[in-house]
Amino acid sequence: MADVAQLSTSLRRGTLEFCVLAMVEKEDRYGTEIVRRFGEERNLAASEGTVYPLLSRLRRVGWLDSRWSESPTGPPRRYYRLTDAGRAALQHFRTEWISFRQTVDRLVGTDAA
Amino acid sequence: VTHNDTDTTVSEYLADVAHRVSDLPLLQRRELLADLESHIEAERIERNAESPGQLLEILERLGSPEEIAAAARAEAPAGASPPPVPAAPRRRPGVVVAVVVTAVVLLLFLIVAVLSFFVSGGESSEPAFPAPLPGQSALPTPDDPPAPLESAPR
Repeated sequence: MADVAQLSTSLRRGTLEFCVLAMVEKEDRYGTEIVRRFGEERNLAASEGTVYPLLSRLRRVGWLDSRWSESPTGPPRRYYRLTDAGRAALQHFRTEWISFRQTVDRLVGTDAA
Repeated sequence: VTHNDTDTTVSEYLADVAHRVSDLPLLQRRELLADLESHIEAERIERNAESPGQLLEILERLGSPEEIAAAARAEAPAGASPPPVPAAPRRRPGVVVAVVVTAVVLLLFLIVAVLSFFVSGGESSEPAFPAPLPGQSALPTPDDPPAPLESAPR
């Protein structure tokens, strides 16, 4: 069981951040919205709170921008926006990911599935 | 069960997280706590969570303070603060050693400077360095310029 958790942690590392970037590619979203969206994905099931440090890092490296905005219902929301650098990084990941996935599929034998 | 009880639960939860990330850079720490606080608040309002049970559910989905702290540490800027326990004791002795070494070197330098001043000044008949002019130190320093006797009466 611990190994299963370890595996998904390892798989998440290095890929989850691009899922975040893709999530704000078309429109700006606020933190809780991004976090909830991830909560719905069983395979990504990291606990919600771990997404915030990730958002923080993506902002620090300049892939995301954020701005505060009033909310009609609750506390102010921090909206995230994809920067040009973030867009380029996402594009680069897409290219890399396809060939990476194909190689792993071929070696592990999941390409026929 | 009052609103205050749930507030206490939330502030205890946040304090626990804060305690576990106390070694991270201040701004990052503040940001994380603000994000979590605003998340909990938004969830409470938007999901209309009034009961303590519903609040616990929100916190459970958010994750244990331990998990969140581990994630925050994993995302910390490279080199800023790697594993907290070994890093702190390792860095401090380094600083102390550097300060002590610097102080010792400065002290030695001072002693040598003072000694050589006295040696050259006291025994002008046997100068240790090539021919200083009479009345001048063998080691002129910018702080204490050798004053020609005529121009600078003291």
